[in-house]
Amino acid sequence: MIVTRGLTKRYGETLAVDNLSFTVSSGVVTGFLGPNGSGKSTAMRMILGLDKPDAGSALVNGCSYDELSWPLREVGALLDAKAFHPGRSARNHLRWLAQANDIPPGRVDTVLDLVGLTAVADRRAGKFSLGMGQRLGIASALLGDPGVLLLDEPVNGLDPEGIRWVRNLLRDLASEGRTVLVSSHLINEMALTAERLVVIGRGTLIADTSVDEFVARHQADAVRIVTPTPQRFAAVLSRVGARPSVDRDGVIVASGLSSADIGELAADQELTLHELTPLRASLEDVFMELTSTSTEYRSHTVDKDGAHVAVPVR
Amino acid sequence: MTTLPLTASRVTTGGASAQSEPWRAGLRQTLRAEWTKLVSLRSTRWTLLTTVVGALLVTFLSTHGALHHSRAWYSGFDPTNQSLAGLAIGSLTLGILGVLAMSGEYGSGTIRSSLAAMPRRGVLLTAKVVLVGLGTLIVGEALSFIVFFEGQAVLSGGAPTASLGQPGVFRAVALSGAFLSLFALLGLGIGTVIRHTAGAIAVFAGCTLLASILLSSISESIARFAPELIFANSVAAVVPHLHSLSVTLGAVLMVAYCAVALGLGALLLNRRDA
Repeated sequence: MIVTRGLTKRYGETLAVDNLSFTVSSGVVTGFLGPNGSGKSTAMRMILGLDKPDAGSALVNGCSYDELSWPLREVGALLDAKAFHPGRSARNHLRWLAQANDIPPGRVDTVLDLVGLTAVADRRAGKFSLGMGQRLGIASALLGDPGVLLLDEPVNGLDPEGIRWVRNLLRDLASEGRTVLVSSHLINEMALTAERLVVIGRGTLIADTSVDEFVARHQADAVRIVTPTPQRFAAVLSRVGARPSVDRDGVIVASGLSSADIGELAADQELTLHELTPLRASLEDVFMELTSTSTEYRSHTVDKDGAHVAVPVR
Repeated sequence: MTTLPLTASRVTTGGASAQSEPWRAGLRQTLRAEWTKLVSLRSTRWTLLTTVVGALLVTFLSTHGALHHSRAWYSGFDPTNQSLAGLAIGSLTLGILGVLAMSGEYGSGTIRSSLAAMPRRGVLLTAKVVLVGLGTLIVGEALSFIVFFEGQAVLSGGAPTASLGQPGVFRAVALSGAFLSLFALLGLGIGTVIRHTAGAIAVFAGCTLLASILLSSISESIARFAPELIFANSVAAVVPHLHSLSVTLGAVLMVAYCAVALGLGALLLNRRDA
């Protein structure tokens, strides 16, 4: 279990993490979601005691990180791909980590095997590809068989097979009762992997909820209606409490009623329907909407088409 | 393919696990880990090889050059000092070894792994001080006696020689070996303060080599406080040099330099984000 309370970190003028409070429970994968530069990594570094918060606290299993007796046996962390010396072999990197926390030396081979690095274990880690480095990082995190895992963008640099492997690994780890916090800037990835979400933007908490709830609350359902008499149809819709909007081509997008309700309404009022399509915002659109005011680095092309958030459901 | 051979050995899950238990990761574990780190890097082996080969070579050249001179030339000749000349190489290379022991961690990102394994930063630095200090002390002492005997063997071909039994000779040889260890600790301190390898090595070289050259050109009475000149003219000398500090004062001063560098390093290590 990870608990942060009022976590705050300032770098010069920039408020990287602003009064952040959330709880990560055991037994489920929790996605830590936010655009690049939103403070995810900073928050994770503070949980690990690498950065000192300016205010607030972060506790792991009720202790601050530096109070843990055997940190690597309680918390496994993958911070960035390169937290190892390029001149040292993967096996030697894991060996010294094991020695630092009295972890049985046999675990080194176990985790090397688990992440699929056995064949290259004695090669200098500096020669590793991004994906191999990431696997070594995951091996380091799993070395002490910890009950709490913090993984910062673990699928970075992995091929599709590797991504699927990490996804399954995270679910398995959580199903064993571990606490798993995984950061990502990709909501679709998190929707596939995580059960709970902690969403942040510009260092502040936007949502702390389950994925299902997040989807249900933020995916505004709407229905697209094509009819030869759009003005009349819109008037009828308004009367029953739906919120219609008519565009230049006479296409209506109405929210507040299901497509079944609208179909029946059309039959009652003897209105002609040419098309009736349920629309749903994609998770990605919802995420962009939510964090758009809090995105630190924004490309300008995204700004312009911010108006259209609805796509048909397949 | 994702069956996990992890579950079997789960020890503690959640809960307030043993924070009052005295049995926790400490200096012993960190020392073992630091030892593995040190010996698993090629740079360590290369540094030691350079130190040994360089020292043997410089001592050979220095003593060989002192052969077959006129009687007048040998007035004030210090065969011990002449034979320890090769250790100057070690003061630089072992100092760099000390720098790298810390700055290398920052350059590669290993420091985050190190602090994740041992979040009490003072323990990490202490382990490095003990390991770098003891390791270079052993290497330094061995090397100091080896070059002494090498030098005397060369000098016996046609120049005055010294033996360990003569007054001040054993002291000079033994203390010179220990001084190499102090240079390594000075490097470690500087590496902890500066954190960037290139910058830290530049500062270390500035404090040692450059200081002795630059200050010598300004004033002998200031230059004698430079670490490299304390080493060459006070510690490694049996016949006192003009202007040089006493051995005791020189040694105390060098220990003080190391203490300042390491103390500042410890302070910053505790205060700064990793």
